[in-house]
Amino acid sequence: MIEIERLSKSFETAKGTLHPALADITLDVPAGRFLSILGPSGCGKSTLLYIVGGFIEPSSGSVRVEGRPVTGPGPDRGPVFQEFALFPWKTVKGNVRYGLDVQGVPRERAEERVARLLEMVHLTGYENFYPKELSGGMKQRVAIARTLAYEPAILLMDEPFGALDAHTRRILQNELLSIWERDRKTVLFVTHGVEEAVFLSDSVLVLTGSPGRQKALIEIDLPRPRVRAELLLNRRYQEYVIEIERMMDSGQMV
Amino acid sequence: MKVRALLTLPGLPPLASVAFLLAVWQAASLALGQSSFPPPIEAFRALPELFRDRETYTNLAASLARMATGLVLGLAIAVPVGLVMGRSQRVTNFLNPILTVIYPIPKAALMPIIMLWVGVGDVSKVLVIFLGVSLPLVYHSYQGARAVDEKLIWSAMAMGTGPAARVLRVILPSALPEVLLGCRVGLAMALIVMITSEMIARQSGVGNILFNSLDMALYDNVYAMIVVLAALGFALDLVFEQLRRRLTFWAETSLDPVALLKEAAA
Repeated sequence: MIEIERLSKSFETAKGTLHPALADITLDVPAGRFLSILGPSGCGKSTLLYIVGGFIEPSSGSVRVEGRPVTGPGPDRGPVFQEFALFPWKTVKGNVRYGLDVQGVPRERAEERVARLLEMVHLTGYENFYPKELSGGMKQRVAIARTLAYEPAILLMDEPFGALDAHTRRILQNELLSIWERDRKTVLFVTHGVEEAVFLSDSVLVLTGSPGRQKALIEIDLPRPRVRAELLLNRRYQEYVIEIERMMDSGQMV
Repeated sequence: MKVRALLTLPGLPPLASVAFLLAVWQAASLALGQSSFPPPIEAFRALPELFRDRETYTNLAASLARMATGLVLGLAIAVPVGLVMGRSQRVTNFLNPILTVIYPIPKAALMPIIMLWVGVGDVSKVLVIFLGVSLPLVYHSYQGARAVDEKLIWSAMAMGTGPAARVLRVILPSALPEVLLGCRVGLAMALIVMITSEMIARQSGVGNILFNSLDMALYDNVYAMIVVLAALGFALDLVFEQLRRRLTFWAETSLDPVALLKEAAA
């Protein structure tokens, strides 16, 4: 359970004035829920994620995870970034193992878990490759495996497929969905893709433009396991997409 | 066609550049016609003599030992300082004025003062070498640490990596390509300051032989020693570059300008 209460964040600009990025967000995310955060660029949706991660501090308000206030990053909340953020000096295996080594997982168990995760993200055989030798999609698979390796209860995904081509993105969306439907972690998923959000999520939080305020929280009542080809023909899926797109377009200056 | 094939041999340009240098030297020496500027042949003729003398080896060893000590001290102190500066605005604000003041002072100019404090022995020389190598090391380590992707650090923090381990296991390796670039500059600096320090505080070392020969008007020896120093600098750089490549082969973009040129040509 994540409890976000009256959360606001302002950044100091180069001129010394305060720029409000997030304003007054209050939200509960029950355990095991897949929540997408949607909004125009600059609405502070990534900022919200970073605050939950404990990477930056809020200006006011608080975040609690399992009842405990967030004061910094911790292995209960695993981030996945758009830019992959792999350690370039480590191999695929070295990257996925890193967190396990830090946590002091015994060598044999770590090896075993790394092998299992690499199999899950279809990277068996690439253990000794370095990140610079991989495509964008493969890098993001490594990053996801690296985060899943230390078994965080919550995944914080910051536009994880934003830097990938449409084809790779679709494949990774499907893979993420099947991984998630197996172990049902709590996921906060920042994106600006409406279809992506509806396809993956239990609920979608729509934010307004800068500063980001809550505009709506929409429950996505679609059956699981979800299959893309079926959803595209599903009337309710189409209506969700249209409703949210309309909501995002209204009152928006482009 | 055959000439073209010869011209594209990889070893040719460096050989040609050495030959060109020797030719200019020969021509200049002939034109000036002074005993203080012997032609290259004379200098090379003095080389075997120089290396028959055991003194040469002990002096060379003494010089290299001081240079290595200064470098190691620089690596141990300047690199961590630069890395911390790169991650902390407060430390940068504190140290920057000091570094800016020290920067334009030729380190050899401090030698007489340092000699007053600690004498003419090894300590003063090692100290100036250390000062000489420190600035490029601090600067490049600072740049490297500053450019570390925030999200790498965040990822490591989320896994439970503590502050000390973060510097050692994330910031240092991330900054390594840039740090090693500083080391390359530092290596050249160390060689330069090594000679000048021995020139000022003459006791032992390559610089000592060089300037004693100069005093005794043994010009062939002076130039032979310069050749030895040039070869030493070249060899050290060659070895270091091999090491640097080995340590940073994983880097996304090569910081080596020559390698970049090669890529652009391909």
